[in-house]
Amino acid sequence: MTAGPRLVVVGDPAGRRVAFFQDALRAAGLPGARTVGWLDVLRGRARFAAGETVRVDSPGEVPEVDRLLRDTDDPARVEGGRLWYERFTAAVAGLATEARRAGAVLVDDPAETAVLFDKRLTHGRLAAAGVPVPASPTSGPGGAPVRGWDDLVALMAAAGLRRVFVKPAHGSSASGVLALETAGGDRVQATTSVERDGSGRLFNSLRVRRYTGAREVGALVDALAPDGLHVERWLPKAMQGDRAADLRVVVTGGRATHAVVRTSRTPLTNLHLGGARGDLPAVRAAIAAAGGRWEDALAVCERAAAAFPGTRCVGVDLLPGAGWRRFAVGEVNAFGDLLPGLTGLPGSGAEGLDTYGAQVADLLRAAGTPTSSTTGTSTAP
Amino acid sequence: MTIGAYLEEFHGLPVLDFADAASADALPDAAAVAWRVSGATYRDGDDPEWGGLFEDFLKTVDTHRVRAIVVGGWEDAYDTSSAAIVTALIAANDRLTGLEAVFLGDMTVEDCEISWIVQSDVTPLLAAYPALRELGVRGGSGLAFPSVRHAGLETLVVETGGLGAEVVRGIAGSDLPALERLELWLGTDEYGGDSSPADLAPLLSGEAFPALRSLGLCNSVIEDQVAAAVASAPVVARLDRLDLSMGVLTDEGAAALLDGQPLTHLRELDLAHHYLSEAMRERLTAALAPHGVRVVLDDPQEPEDDGDGDVWRYVAVAE
Repeated sequence: MTAGPRLVVVGDPAGRRVAFFQDALRAAGLPGARTVGWLDVLRGRARFAAGETVRVDSPGEVPEVDRLLRDTDDPARVEGGRLWYERFTAAVAGLATEARRAGAVLVDDPAETAVLFDKRLTHGRLAAAGVPVPASPTSGPGGAPVRGWDDLVALMAAAGLRRVFVKPAHGSSASGVLALETAGGDRVQATTSVERDGSGRLFNSLRVRRYTGAREVGALVDALAPDGLHVERWLPKAMQGDRAADLRVVVTGGRATHAVVRTSRTPLTNLHLGGARGDLPAVRAAIAAAGGRWEDALAVCERAAAAFPGTRCVGVDLLPGAGWRRFAVGEVNAFGDLLPGLTGLPGSGAEGLDTYGAQVADLLRAAGTPTSSTTGTSTAP
Repeated sequence: MTIGAYLEEFHGLPVLDFADAASADALPDAAAVAWRVSGATYRDGDDPEWGGLFEDFLKTVDTHRVRAIVVGGWEDAYDTSSAAIVTALIAANDRLTGLEAVFLGDMTVEDCEISWIVQSDVTPLLAAYPALRELGVRGGSGLAFPSVRHAGLETLVVETGGLGAEVVRGIAGSDLPALERLELWLGTDEYGGDSSPADLAPLLSGEAFPALRSLGLCNSVIEDQVAAAVASAPVVARLDRLDLSMGVLTDEGAAALLDGQPLTHLRELDLAHHYLSEAMRERLTAALAPHGVRVVLDDPQEPEDDGDGDVWRYVAVAE
């Protein structure tokens, strides 16, 4: 097998993501990637060499890195998203400049990374590409600002929205997300993992709780608003057993390669909030029973990924509507590939590979390197 | 906790969603399933309204063979009461001549919070369908049940996060000579559940419902008081099933049960979702199991300490 591209991975050198990626390289018979820590990037010490291919991965939850990005090293703290975003995108842009100067190339387009880390811009781009997304008054660069509770109430009233997800524009893994519902008679209720302490600081807890009433919920929204908020319609989800279900679908090199069902008794399906992996064959059966096609569901995810042609791998959150007849895209995550041990979908070309293995195969294809699976003439039946 | 699953079986029949069935090639015998007719609570532009779906249903199936209907969601169920649904069901009584069972409001938390489902006076359904044998209702807001007489009703289930005292009195004061199974989710005062065991007097005394065999007084924040009232209630002697599940039942309520009248004649005592100590669970089992009583103690709960010295205990379904 010929040597592949000379790879560099920017990430948390001690983290799982980098380890999984290195494992995937070894499994493909390739040398390991050179690792560059985010700490070095943020301190301006990252250097690249001509001919290197640089894959930027998540900064992870390294306290020192977190402090440099958002002035807090407590991973449970919710605030600081806007700061994190400004510094993170600046760092990615600087890294790209440095790589270009040295004659190295980036795997992913930094301009797209900047869009993917702003849920409002991501939503706008998906909507413009005709990808089904929940209605949103904050979509795109011209989206309405949400400076606090009063803005939110006005936006919801103007759009006729009674039930919305309120998401920090730059948040990840349900951090700071509120599932908010309103009804006549001033009924307001929010389901969230956010907790406010006595001095008004916001923390993500592992327990999903409910806040009721405009005063309680409004105070939360006011506290979250300075970091920027994205608002979108909360579509009733399909159920699997007695739990609401959605899917995380990883699209690699334009193809949906991996899918996992996430089910929850709360509107937040994230696994760390009590969500559980659901039953994918049962989902496929439910879609078929509703007269739909699993392939069409995957095609929605591939269309969402195609809105980001300069990004090799994204994790798409696919929201099945009640009854499994309709699908919308809830999120597109630049670092949505952390699904340890999950192997590729049948027919995806990533059978037997985890998400990192699929990305390695994709990088080799992109670099024009023949891989073991594509060597020789295709005489297979 | 909340309602997370749709009814899969109702009135002994498998539930089939009419919209799913309509997109299939062949419809089953209309008498072989419980038909679910359900619209979107939070509608998207092109979601059909419940009324239109119901009209389609009546046009499509052999209505005279329909035995059971499950009403799922309807548009804006959190603001719009079930009155129009009840009216539509009543208006179809010349076609639904074999209807035996109706469930009103089979919605999950994704469709509508149980405490936000707006119900209405459901008793006109009973008047319009003298042959009805089973009625189920989910949601306590706006629910009314003035005392009625109905000779055929065998099963009445009312699931709420808070059941108003007036509704409880209306049900307990009704004349339902055939009623064999009654299940009331009493809920919490936070969501309008302001009844006390006194509101159940005619039921507990045994005057009401001579045919009653199964009694559920569930999901109550004052389950201990309910248990204490049941412990000396004459009606219990007639029961083969007693259900005090889903509520805030502590050792106090369980001790009252054990110190009250004998329960050894019961086939089942359901106390699932409880706050009982290990010792109390053992006492209950030792007292009843040897007599062939199935004591259900699943889903034990732990009180939550909020860190401020307050301890919280929850009913199974409130919001």
